[in-house]
Amino acid sequence: MANQKNTASPRRSFIKTSVLAGGGLMLNFTWLSSLAETSADGPIPTSWVELGGFIRITPENIIKILNPNPDFGQNVMTSLPMIVAEELDADWKKVVVEMAPHSTKLGPQFSGGSNSVRMYWKPLREAGATARYMLMQAAAQAWGVDVSEITTNASMLYHKKSGRSATYGSFATKAASLPVPKNVKLKDVNDFKIVGNSQLNVEGKKIVTGTPLFGMDYKHEGMLIAMIEHPPAFGMKLKSYDATEALKMPGIKTVFDLTLYPDGLEQAGFDTRTFNELLVVVGKSTWEVMQARKKLKIVWTPEGDRKDTMGGRGGKTVVVVPGALETTSKQFEKMKERAMQPAKLLRKDGDPESAFKNAAQIIERTYTAPFLAHNCMEPINFFAHVTADKALLVGPLQAPGWAIPIVSKVLKMPADKIEVQMTRMGGGFGRRAYAHYLAEAALISQKANAPIKLVYTREDDMTYGIYRPMYTATYRAALDANKNLIGFHVKGGGIPEHPIHADRFPAGAIDNYLAEGWEIPTNITIGAYRAPRSNFNAAAEQSFLDELAEVMGKDPIDFRLELLKRAKEKPVGKNNDYDAARYAGVLELLKVKSGWGKPENKKYFRGVAAYFCHNSYAAHVIDIAKKNGEPYVERVTSTVDCGIVINPDAATNMVQGAVVDGIGNAFYSGLTHIDGAGQQANFNKYRIIRIHEAPKKIDVFFVDNDIDPTGLGEPPFPPVIPAVANALYKLEGKRRYMQPFGVKLLNS
Amino acid sequence: MITLTVNNKKINVDVDPDTPLLWVLREHLDLMGVKYGCGVAQCGACVVHLNGEAVRSCVTKISRAANQQVVTIEGLSEEGDHPVQKAWVELDVVQCGYCQAGQIMSAAVLLKENKNPTDADIDAAMAGNICRCGTYVRVRQAIKRAAEIQRNAK
Amino acid sequence: MKRFSKAFIIVVSLSVGIVLMSFVIDNEVSTNKNFAIKDSVTSVKAFHEVYKVLLSPRCMNCHPSGDIPLQGDDSHAHAMLPKRGVDGKGVYAMKCGNCHQSANTEGSGRPPGAPNWHLPPANMKMVFQGKSEHDLAKQIANPKTNGNKNLKQLIAHAEDGLVKWGWEPGEGRTLPPLTYDEFKKAWNTWLENGAYAPSGK
Repeated sequence: MANQKNTASPRRSFIKTSVLAGGGLMLNFTWLSSLAETSADGPIPTSWVELGGFIRITPENIIKILNPNPDFGQNVMTSLPMIVAEELDADWKKVVVEMAPHSTKLGPQFSGGSNSVRMYWKPLREAGATARYMLMQAAAQAWGVDVSEITTNASMLYHKKSGRSATYGSFATKAASLPVPKNVKLKDVNDFKIVGNSQLNVEGKKIVTGTPLFGMDYKHEGMLIAMIEHPPAFGMKLKSYDATEALKMPGIKTVFDLTLYPDGLEQAGFDTRTFNELLVVVGKSTWEVMQARKKLKIVWTPEGDRKDTMGGRGGKTVVVVPGALETTSKQFEKMKERAMQPAKLLRKDGDPESAFKNAAQIIERTYTAPFLAHNCMEPINFFAHVTADKALLVGPLQAPGWAIPIVSKVLKMPADKIEVQMTRMGGGFGRRAYAHYLAEAALISQKANAPIKLVYTREDDMTYGIYRPMYTATYRAALDANKNLIGFHVKGGGIPEHPIHADRFPAGAIDNYLAEGWEIPTNITIGAYRAPRSNFNAAAEQSFLDELAEVMGKDPIDFRLELLKRAKEKPVGKNNDYDAARYAGVLELLKVKSGWGKPENKKYFRGVAAYFCHNSYAAHVIDIAKKNGEPYVERVTSTVDCGIVINPDAATNMVQGAVVDGIGNAFYSGLTHIDGAGQQANFNKYRIIRIHEAPKKIDVFFVDNDIDPTGLGEPPFPPVIPAVANALYKLEGKRRYMQPFGVKLLNS
Repeated sequence: MITLTVNNKKINVDVDPDTPLLWVLREHLDLMGVKYGCGVAQCGACVVHLNGEAVRSCVTKISRAANQQVVTIEGLSEEGDHPVQKAWVELDVVQCGYCQAGQIMSAAVLLKENKNPTDADIDAAMAGNICRCGTYVRVRQAIKRAAEIQRNAK
Repeated sequence: MKRFSKAFIIVVSLSVGIVLMSFVIDNEVSTNKNFAIKDSVTSVKAFHEVYKVLLSPRCMNCHPSGDIPLQGDDSHAHAMLPKRGVDGKGVYAMKCGNCHQSANTEGSGRPPGAPNWHLPPANMKMVFQGKSEHDLAKQIANPKTNGNKNLKQLIAHAEDGLVKWGWEPGEGRTLPPLTYDEFKKAWNTWLENGAYAPSGK
């Protein structure tokens, strides 16, 4: 189902007999490692035997598993090694987990797109199973028995007939010398002992004791702090500056301006950067640099239209980025006007024009949402130490594989001279998939000729972001005289991209279907934000379906199930990218688990919504009550089908978090601009949901199946917003079409 | 030169008295558990105890801490076994973890002053701590669990 | 000027009733022997000015009708809903002094500060929000509802650090409608002339 190709086979990375001395490479990363069982004390390892790219074993039988993907709260530091340990049949309680350095041998190492488990499921299982088999082979040879008679359990090898047993560690060196077997049989999922059973976060104890783990915490000898003074608004650039006073401030080393991308630099999709001409202050400490920034005398000037060179499959294209200083209220007007104009056809089934012409009733509703800022708790930062012939970069990022090419380009340094280490991330949400801040840090280090850590203040982070775009979509439904749905039309647009996933539900369930999209360019930088596009589509589409069900006199869940039945039994059109049966499955489970229609739930104003994205299915019932006169989401019931769940309690935590994030976004979030200047620069203006606004209870239920894992970090997020909207309608009696629902964003 | 006691150790620091306690702890004393999140007392990631109160170190000047007692997450317990820390691990509260030291330091003050907090007490005490991952439901559960651990220890 | 005279006429026309009423108020302040002069017209007129200041966000925000302080020029409920607590200094991890320092934190959107930042305590809430001129004047003049302050202490209260903070509220906060000197003069005038309450009607 997943259209995912594993770019690196773990087998390629099986280095046969590499025994690392105790002072070797791995110990450079000890601050990135964690014991699975936090109380376990083991002997100090003398040597690590490498059994494939992800596994190290010591003679003392300590097993270290490298986690390929950086953890931004999605629990991969625990859940990915669990997969290896499962097939290795390791004693999880004694496993040491370590964050892997960036290495092309370890696969894409990309945290994003709810992809970590999906892309590593098979390679990590194979890595564990292969290493286990090699250990079994080594024991079989030593004991002079057939390998089929060897069994394993909890990092131990057994030969039952002769009563012999040995630790993995005692055979690790021998195993590593064997040829790497191919096509080792994987475990039956029903035999899993670790996967599918909740395991505590391997970094839990470290986090609650304040151990340095994050990029912000990284220190390096001689390290200086760098900050960037950005233009005050999108569409502005640096004209001139006077740093005389700033340079007199204590601790300040240097102030300089910097061009990030030279003219004509070919940008890949995730090379988005906010500003190209940067003013940099470098000093001894963060506070001193912050103070010096206030003393800079800077003249900014309108930038005018800018040309960006974009690389890509179709070759180079030059994109003109308009220089206008944008104001949100005007952008909304512009979107309204643009929505009236013809748009690009995205999908058409049947004859939607005739359906609407012949309709007895047409329902049309337009939904709109503002820019959103990611607001990761850990502001953007990165360490860089660039010398003449190499570069070391350390910090929080989601996609090292995308970062290195752009760093290589700006430094004019070969990629293999650039070492990237990934720290734990204080949130990501898509923001740290954009590597401009690594490029910035690298250039600053190069120019300052010093190891530096680039730090964004919260204000920098919020006003110079790579935002969720502004979106709008008009949904239309054509009903016949008997209130049957005979046509469906969605026309969506956005600044600067449209959100429409034309092949998703309800496409495939309606005979006459039309999807169109339009776009308005802007210089406000946008990018991926937790479930890109889906986070808006779900809100709009699922609100519309709720309203439609009401007009048609149907129960909102039953109405969706009817459409899904049609999509399953007699799908309309091609390329429907969802599985109607799995989609219906989460709704059916939700109906039961939420007590839908049960009288005991009458005291709540209930809203329901479901959505499919990242190959997974999620649905929620939101129960609103009133607290101090304000609507309050008191209780949530969630159902998710993401295939096999690796670490159930952590997965539940993430769904609960997605629900809270969704409620917060639905009520409070939005970023506006006046003449290009962001109007929300810190949490006093950009409201983030707080504990008293979070539900008392979020019950999460996973559909139990044996399907290979699909995404989880993002899928539960989008349908929260429409479920809130639909519940609010029950409370207020009026529909919400404009996000956010709980605060007024625009003054005018 | 400013003298203060941090995690039971007397410390002298030579910094501008206007420097926020946050940056002194992080950059002069290497106590990285205290986090920078907003710098304006909105998010609570920087909460430490100043004479037992859950101050936001990002807006607390070091001069206010002169000759006072400061406790950070690193010093909350000897072995990382404060009831709140124990409960946090047990209930696997954390997601990204960045805000959690601040949450724990706030929760510790709550539990010192209220041995058996209700949901409403927890909300009142913890509303100053933002968790962007949305772990609030577990924060509430963990505080109740910590209260239980605290009661059982006596 | 025109507006002033209009207000003046109203004051004068109401003053008879006020005088009668005020004399029967159990009011330690108005019976203070140190002040021989009692002038209800002057006193009430001064309180009109005082009232404008007290109901301005800089003063009213910390004298809310509920137990959560207000914030901003629009006097919305303080973000994160800090509670008054018994002593007015907040609860648990949400004590006023955890964020509010002894001076304003520099910059817009940062916590304002002054020594001993707090709300009135729970047993003496001294609510300004939603109070009429009449009720507020009575409340302030009465030691049972003003924090046990006598006339002298009330006069001294204008020198209080938290009161004076209203005129140095930090970046992004509007000042009260009177200057500090104007306020102090009106405050003293009101008190020294008998602390009369404007008509309750």
